[in-house]
Amino acid sequence: MSLDNRSLNGRRKSVSYAKWGYIFILPFFLVYIVFTLVPQVLTIYNSFFTNYMDGLKHIGPEFVGLKNYVSLFTPNKQGSILILKYAANTMILWFLGAVPQFLIALLLAVFFTSYRLNIKGQGFFKTVIYMPNLIMASAFSMLFFTLFSKVGPVNQFLQQSGIMDKPLDFFASKVTVRSLIALMNFLMWFGNTTIVLMAGIMGIDQTLFEAATIDGANAVKVFFKVTLPLLMPIFVYCLITALIGGIQMFDVPQVLTNRLGMPNRTSFTLVMYLNNYLSTSKNYGMSGAISVIIFIITGILGGIVYKFLSAQYKDPVEKPRRARKGARK
Amino acid sequence: MKKLISVVLCLLMLVSIVTISKPAAAEDSQGKVFNIYAWNEEFKGFFEKYYTVPEGVTVNWIINPSDGGVYQQKLDEALLNQASAADDDKVDMFLAEADYIGKYVDSEYTMGIDQIGYQNADTMYEYTIKAASDANGVCKGVSFQCCPSALIYRRSIAKDVLGTDEPDEVQALLDSWEKFEAVAADAKAKGYYMTASFAETYRVFSNNCTMPWVDEEKNLQFDPMIDAWIAQTEKFIQNEYTLDCGIWDDEKNQQMFADGKTMCFFGPAWYFNFCMGNAQDPEKGCKGDWAICEGPMAHFWGGTWLLAAAGSDNTAMLKDIFETFTVNEEVCENLVANEAQYPNNTKVVEKFANDPTYGSEFLGGQNDILAFSKLTGNIKWENHTNYDQILNESLQSCLQEYFKGSVDKDTALATFYQKINETYPDIVTP
Repeated sequence: MSLDNRSLNGRRKSVSYAKWGYIFILPFFLVYIVFTLVPQVLTIYNSFFTNYMDGLKHIGPEFVGLKNYVSLFTPNKQGSILILKYAANTMILWFLGAVPQFLIALLLAVFFTSYRLNIKGQGFFKTVIYMPNLIMASAFSMLFFTLFSKVGPVNQFLQQSGIMDKPLDFFASKVTVRSLIALMNFLMWFGNTTIVLMAGIMGIDQTLFEAATIDGANAVKVFFKVTLPLLMPIFVYCLITALIGGIQMFDVPQVLTNRLGMPNRTSFTLVMYLNNYLSTSKNYGMSGAISVIIFIITGILGGIVYKFLSAQYKDPVEKPRRARKGARK
Repeated sequence: MKKLISVVLCLLMLVSIVTISKPAAAEDSQGKVFNIYAWNEEFKGFFEKYYTVPEGVTVNWIINPSDGGVYQQKLDEALLNQASAADDDKVDMFLAEADYIGKYVDSEYTMGIDQIGYQNADTMYEYTIKAASDANGVCKGVSFQCCPSALIYRRSIAKDVLGTDEPDEVQALLDSWEKFEAVAADAKAKGYYMTASFAETYRVFSNNCTMPWVDEEKNLQFDPMIDAWIAQTEKFIQNEYTLDCGIWDDEKNQQMFADGKTMCFFGPAWYFNFCMGNAQDPEKGCKGDWAICEGPMAHFWGGTWLLAAAGSDNTAMLKDIFETFTVNEEVCENLVANEAQYPNNTKVVEKFANDPTYGSEFLGGQNDILAFSKLTGNIKWENHTNYDQILNESLQSCLQEYFKGSVDKDTALATFYQKINETYPDIVTP
């Protein structure tokens, strides 16, 4: 629109571009409503019904109120509430993978963006660390299953090099199975986190780093006093998305432990629990109830992380506040 | 003007799409696409080799793994949509295993073979017909094989442990569980394993159960035979007569190589080609170093049935396939000679059993057809439920943790019951 045009329309106070904004975001909302919101509401609705298949016969749907939820939280004969056990498993598995994931990703992001280190061949490294994320999780799990089986190459190496005289059964111990799952999740996701954190760091004004260095701050101090506070919005975003992904952890333990979550279901996650109800008998009632619980847990944990971390770093300087506001939108 | 042109073009496009997608009128009542659901490539191989597909018909194989009930899930979805599916998308034929055939036979999703004009031949084994028949005696399909299962042993190890590798003599030394366990101790003393998986003998016991997994009120029940299997396996694991891996694991399969240390396996005729690839390996294998005998208990294992899906528009082809794999003697003979199968045709069986020149190269010249034919009389079709596959699979996987020593027996059984509660809400567990 040229200046002339604007003066012609001078009587109008301003041209409203807002409607174009709404039109452009409309497709997203349509897709969201059809593919996410409606199924979500239906899931909640289904969780109040008995509805499953017995072989080829359909049982229900019959309204049962909160019965599905009650049975999920009823202790079994051994006195444990299984869904809580599986929720704890899920969080442990996520935590074991997420801690190294964020530490390594932060470190790499700082290295790659440091104007002092000025690392060569960044494109190559960034591609390589991102690679594991491109492999299908199930294929990756099959690979690990074969590698660490009792007759797999890892055991062959351990025996031939004299470290072990008997093959080690990696899938018989809680510690090894959980470590393997954590290792795989770490390998698959640290590249992704690195890239996002790097983008966050590159968004920080370089002059701040230079100023801090001139003031005599060493690298560690710069990291904790400048980089980390200013990176916090992006960091929290990464953490919450990783947390949501972690709560929904399924494919890696499912394939690696052949659906069993062995030993003794100590690596059995919430979604594997859900899948057990859903896969054979199409039990929409029970799996719906588990979904709703997962949804609530996700909401609560996401809220806690957000409150806790963003409260600590409130407005250290004027500039990042604007940046944070932008990120929130 | 531009608008007009674009509207006209759009209309033209629509018209052309509609005309293209209009189905060509069927030339006769038979469909042009034949859809088969299966859980592995075994039958597909036989089908492609020995069955000539009528001209103009495309055969679609939809293959999903059986493990964890995936095959049943996918098949169920397709069958439930059968009524609304287009003719060419309908399931025409599907394969089913002994563990769950009842679920499909006793449903409206299969059709009686009389509806496609096929009649069971009297050369077929009785139990294969019973398995494919519903409560009213309507037969819904056929099997191309009969699956008496035998004890498959390594001749060289048997010679070392028992002093003989002659099937009759070996059988005399292994014809009860007491003898089997005693020999296991001897084998162990000489550095061998009796079996290569904790679940190797599971089918032998479970096939001799006197009651089904669930009673009429759907209460889960443990047959004394299952308890006997658990007790024996405890002993075998404790004494290291067997390995703690599953029956399909690589660790077990490696025992079939020439340098394997395991004496006994259990399996029917399909086991040789389908599961003993390592033994047949030209370099690392030990072809010819094997033989079969009945073992401690008569039993059968598995079997693949071909079922006619209700709503199929390829009835003539269905009939043709059924005939090819059951009454066509040439095909049945090829199944024996080239595929090491035990056919569902007594006439062909007799021919091979009485042929002094016939012997299996894999079994060191032993006439496997003759040996298996002596076991067929013991096969009874009883005590099956629709839940057998998942129950058998889950019991083994839950107890494996107990046998490995990760959990105690009660915990393992509690996990088994939990798995049942999750999978089959109707079954009442202890």
